[in-house]
Amino acid sequence: MRLFDGQRAWLVQRISALLLLVMIVFGVLALPFAPPLDFAAWRAFAGGVLGGPLIALLFGALCAHAWVGMRDIVLDYIQPRGLRLAVLSLIAVVLLGVLVRVLLSLATVALVA
Amino acid sequence: MDRHSRRSPVFLNLAQIRFPVGAIASIAHRVAGVLLFIALPVIALTLDVSLRTEAGFASVRDLLSSPFWLMAGSVLLWALVHHVLAGVRHLLMDVGVGSGLKQARTSARLVLVGAPALTLLFLAWGLS
Amino acid sequence: MKLNIYRFDPERGDPPRMQAYEVQPEAGDKKLLDLLMRLRVQDDSLSFRRSCREGVCGSDAMNINGRNGLACLTSLDGLKEPIVLRPLPGFPVIRDLIVDMTQFFAHYHSIKPWLINDAPLPERERLQSPTERERLDGLYECILCACCSAFCPSYWWNPDKFIGPSGLLQAYRFIADSRDTASAERLDFLDDVYRLYRCRTIMNCTEVCPKGLSPSHAIERIRLALLRRSS
Repeated sequence: MRLFDGQRAWLVQRISALLLLVMIVFGVLALPFAPPLDFAAWRAFAGGVLGGPLIALLFGALCAHAWVGMRDIVLDYIQPRGLRLAVLSLIAVVLLGVLVRVLLSLATVALVA
Repeated sequence: MDRHSRRSPVFLNLAQIRFPVGAIASIAHRVAGVLLFIALPVIALTLDVSLRTEAGFASVRDLLSSPFWLMAGSVLLWALVHHVLAGVRHLLMDVGVGSGLKQARTSARLVLVGAPALTLLFLAWGLS
Repeated sequence: MKLNIYRFDPERGDPPRMQAYEVQPEAGDKKLLDLLMRLRVQDDSLSFRRSCREGVCGSDAMNINGRNGLACLTSLDGLKEPIVLRPLPGFPVIRDLIVDMTQFFAHYHSIKPWLINDAPLPERERLQSPTERERLDGLYECILCACCSAFCPSYWWNPDKFIGPSGLLQAYRFIADSRDTASAERLDFLDDVYRLYRCRTIMNCTEVCPKGLSPSHAIERIRLALLRRSS
């Protein structure tokens, strides 16, 4: 399964890593200043023009990063072709599921808001 | 492959090989990554529950008061911290910063010790 | 001194076993290879490769107390007893400490370890400035002993597809050579999930190189060269 080959996979991994790093560092730095969260505020943030795309970007980068990393692990440790394909497919399904779930949740909140 | 391979044994007993600190940091990076991958669907579902209803939001907020989820959360927090620290180390080494053997050994040790330390710090901060 | 050595006899068909030895080092015995030569007198069935006995031919690479190294360059003092000797990890064992290097050399050949330059030959040699020549330092000294590749987990898992630290160091030796004109093709060849990008930079290669070289650094330079080329 060559969704990302050679250098492209490596670049996807590094660029998504940088993106995640920036978001995590900002997140941790912002945490002490964040007001205590209640349901309404959380929904407003996740459904807002800033929060929604930010959360979507976070999970997008997460899934791309996880794909390259998990695929590397499979290429290293699982050699039989059939099993390898099965595990790679399972990983792809899980990651796509995560992405769809998050986007649906965000869309629902955004539409209601 | 060649004339020997069919009958040739291969020595590859990982317990009998002495791994340098860089290898330890790297395998921990890998283990942490797998843990985070396993947690990803749970996190996505948690996000959904927290956005759906007031009661769902409250249940997610109070999740860490259960000992099981506190444990799971702590392990996950270590995984995240280690993965990020080791990741930064690799990004720097990619562009030649600290990629000499001596510096790389030091930074690997730093990551291995720093991750649990930072995890405890975050936990203490979060629970207080 | 006490030793514990991996034994395998292909004619007997028994699984490999560890055999304990004891041998008295004599005055002037400084390196592990000196001890092994004394052992050979005791037990002439014990097999290992050796030739130059001074770290140039690269034939006595083995796993010494859990780390790969050359017996001829490993000092006896400082070695924990019993000294445990095993063949290079991940390589098919032919007999005792002798491993089959066929695949290892096939990877070396795959990177075309010779100068490629189709320009008409100059009247005398192709000249290099001192700076250009310096770029080959730390690369040309590789003796192909396989200590690094046999200590690299990525090579253990994909020995047929990953070129391995030694082959990649050699590849960069030609990419870095000012007289070679095939860098682009060389980089094309390396841009592959298996050939180059199995490396996870754990630096086991650099840890064990008996010549003090840094294959991980060469790999870093290849990745950057690929990056520069595509940007």
